[in-house]
Amino acid sequence: MSLFRAEGLVKRFGGLLATDHVDLAVEAGEIHALIGPNGAGKSTLVNLISGLLPADAGRIVLDGIELTALAPHQRSRHGLARCFQITSVFRNDSVRDNLLLAVQAHAGSSFRCLARRDAEHALQQRAEALAQRVGLTEVLERNAGTLAHGVQKRLDVALALASQPKLLLLDEPMAGMGPEDSQQMIELIRSLRRETAILLIEHDMDAVFQLADRISVLVYGKVLTSGDAAHVKGHPEVQSVYLGTEAAA
Amino acid sequence: MDAIFVFEQLLNGLGYGLMLFLIAAGLTLVFGIMDTMNLAHGSLYMAGAYVAARVHEASASFALAVAVAVAVTVAVAAVLEFLVIRRLYRRDHLVQVLATFGIILIADDAVKAIWGVAPLLASTPAALAGPVQLFEGLPYPSYRLLLIGAGLAVALGLYLLVNNTRVGMLVRAGASNRQMAEFMGVRVGAVFAFVFALGAGLAALAGALMAPISSVQIGMGEAILIPALVVIVIGGIGSVRGAFVAALLVGLVDTAGRAFLPPALRAVLPPSVAADLGPALAGIAMYVLMAAVLTLKPAGLFPARG
Amino acid sequence: MHERFPGLARRLPWLVLALLAAFPLFAPAFGLEYYVGFVRRVLIVAIAATSLNFILGYGGMAALGHAGFIGVGAYTVVALVEAGFSSAWLAWGGAAAVAGLAAAAIGAVSLRTRGVYFIMITLAFAQMLYYLAVSLRTWGGDDGYGIYTPLEMGVWLDGAHAQVFYWVVLAIAALVFALFSRVAHSRYGQALRGIRDNETRMVALGYPVYRLKLAGFVAAGAVAGLAGGLLASHNAFVSPGMMHWTQSALLLVMVMLGGLGRRWGAPLGVALWLTLEEALKMHTDYWHWPLGVLLLLVVFHAPQGVAALLERRAGKEAAR
Repeated sequence: MSLFRAEGLVKRFGGLLATDHVDLAVEAGEIHALIGPNGAGKSTLVNLISGLLPADAGRIVLDGIELTALAPHQRSRHGLARCFQITSVFRNDSVRDNLLLAVQAHAGSSFRCLARRDAEHALQQRAEALAQRVGLTEVLERNAGTLAHGVQKRLDVALALASQPKLLLLDEPMAGMGPEDSQQMIELIRSLRRETAILLIEHDMDAVFQLADRISVLVYGKVLTSGDAAHVKGHPEVQSVYLGTEAAA
Repeated sequence: MDAIFVFEQLLNGLGYGLMLFLIAAGLTLVFGIMDTMNLAHGSLYMAGAYVAARVHEASASFALAVAVAVAVTVAVAAVLEFLVIRRLYRRDHLVQVLATFGIILIADDAVKAIWGVAPLLASTPAALAGPVQLFEGLPYPSYRLLLIGAGLAVALGLYLLVNNTRVGMLVRAGASNRQMAEFMGVRVGAVFAFVFALGAGLAALAGALMAPISSVQIGMGEAILIPALVVIVIGGIGSVRGAFVAALLVGLVDTAGRAFLPPALRAVLPPSVAADLGPALAGIAMYVLMAAVLTLKPAGLFPARG
Repeated sequence: MHERFPGLARRLPWLVLALLAAFPLFAPAFGLEYYVGFVRRVLIVAIAATSLNFILGYGGMAALGHAGFIGVGAYTVVALVEAGFSSAWLAWGGAAAVAGLAAAAIGAVSLRTRGVYFIMITLAFAQMLYYLAVSLRTWGGDDGYGIYTPLEMGVWLDGAHAQVFYWVVLAIAALVFALFSRVAHSRYGQALRGIRDNETRMVALGYPVYRLKLAGFVAAGAVAGLAGGLLASHNAFVSPGMMHWTQSALLLVMVMLGGLGRRWGAPLGVALWLTLEEALKMHTDYWHWPLGVLLLLVVFHAPQGVAALLERRAGKEAAR
């Protein structure tokens, strides 16, 4: 039984079928990559799974719990975390405050309104541990908005990790990065697989082939095929539909 | 309550709706294109009413009064745009609220200084003072027919301007995607200034036309602003067509509410309750309409942006 | 300010509080009795403004209908007086409770919308309350309702009513202010600020964003209702005009003038605005336009409000 299963997911935008009966499974400890040409509906799929968009049909199950009817914040509480394609951090706050906010969401009630939050040692410790985990200790007191792109991206990942997720959705974590930052991110993702299963959406084929245990190819909202790197590379339709268009672009 | 009374009220609602449209058209364009919340739009309406009432009194020519009112208000609006509004386009809505609320305060004092605190009594043009026999048993004030006619004519003119002219194309481009319009080299600054002046002219026209049938006084701008905002929210911010439909809806709902709700309630409720409830329900009818529309269509009836 | 002058920042609020508390005692000696009432009004409005600053400045909820909750509070006092109750504490507590309930109902609907639509729908609800008050003739309708017998505050509090009422208002204002300042740094306050800055991220992090916002909205509504109840006692009069949209706008303007989302923003803005208003009214009938010009100056030269200006000034002097 898979850790995560999406079955028959459908999303329509007017007449456009953006997600066309998608079935997807992620096993425990697995990095599952989702690739596909631009406009294949990858980001829509991530939004359906994380709940930011309501699905028109289908169901989503994580670790035996049905998430389909749950609001996005409830899905997060059941172990589903995500990052954003466009880095989404709290730009005007320090890295420490960013991490505290993420940690706080999963440690006790956020309706507590009299005690000073920053005086909670347990929260501070967890925030610092998280910073250490992704290599942000040096910049803890810096404002997030002033950090370099690659560092902000690591913070984005750290925010998602704070919930100790069972499944982490990474939406193009390498987008807009230079080779050095990309390599650092690849190392980080590789190290994460001990803690969580990962659904990785990525354009960078090098990264995908380095990281993924399994790859699914999404074209026009449908899963074309699913398998390991060799299978996908050798698949004739993938070569024509996906790699062909990529090479041309 | 007979058919003739109902018909008369519907005509009144239509007239009020069309006047609301004149005010809302400028507001929705400024909002849609410049993303600017202009609370002082009501002050332009007030300016139109005051100037028209005074010029009419002095010259005895209603046409001249309307023309002067529009011209003066457009001139004032151009100055206002140049001095203040154009610096607000890229600021956030709250800052725009702050600044344009400041303009309201200044405008109200300016009107008080020029024309005094007492409300003006604007007279109907002599030629249109009497009623017209629309059909057997329904005399209708001819001035109110003029309102309806003028409102429809302006709406048609605006429709043609927006849909069939180059300026209109630029305006539409700006409303649906401002950034794209900028990339395509549209001189946004000029378009903005034009739209603001156009909106001011329409508001002044509404003020001039409404002057004889409403009381011309300080605060009239603040009173009309809220229904106008309700109209543009119901219609979909930035959509002239939406503003037109919504203005008629609001005009009819408001007028019908005031005319029909109190008697209807008196028929089913004890008089003391009905006397309290009737006006309350009539007053809030348009807000209920807005809440209902927003529940079903959160971006209004005709969203200008996808 | 509070970081660069830790000593001053700690002492200044207490100093201000002490001066305010002593004011009714030395006011008669300087012929300033009239201003005891004025300061009391400033304090009451500051309570309402502080609650608005909380949801708007910290929570990012641009509500343009806050005067509606003030009105609900005031009319709750009217209803209780009309029903024969005379305890001030009951009346003010009732004002806060009923306004909180109204805020729960209005917030539950309004908080499903965003941006301009939220501004408009909160405005619409306040207008509905306004028309409701206009038409309720049992409570005076358009003409308003006079409260002829002062409410009773308790056996030994009722002696010199005006002064005692002043101190009660001061105590409530100080309490409300301290409470909101404290909440701002709590878990809840931090979460609210997160929602203001990046709502989508907060949802993805697992925060129950809607319920968090609603809680803040209800608390702010209840406090505004409390201010409304106090205002009813202060004026001994309640009218629908309290709920007119310009009153909501005015409250928002005062908060922004003082400094949106800044600790001292609300009381500073209210004190500055009402003092200027009072001073201008003494000299001229045309007291609106200078305030209008002031708003334009703030927009173009001090968009962060007066509190930020003072903080920067304090910072510069410390650097010297």
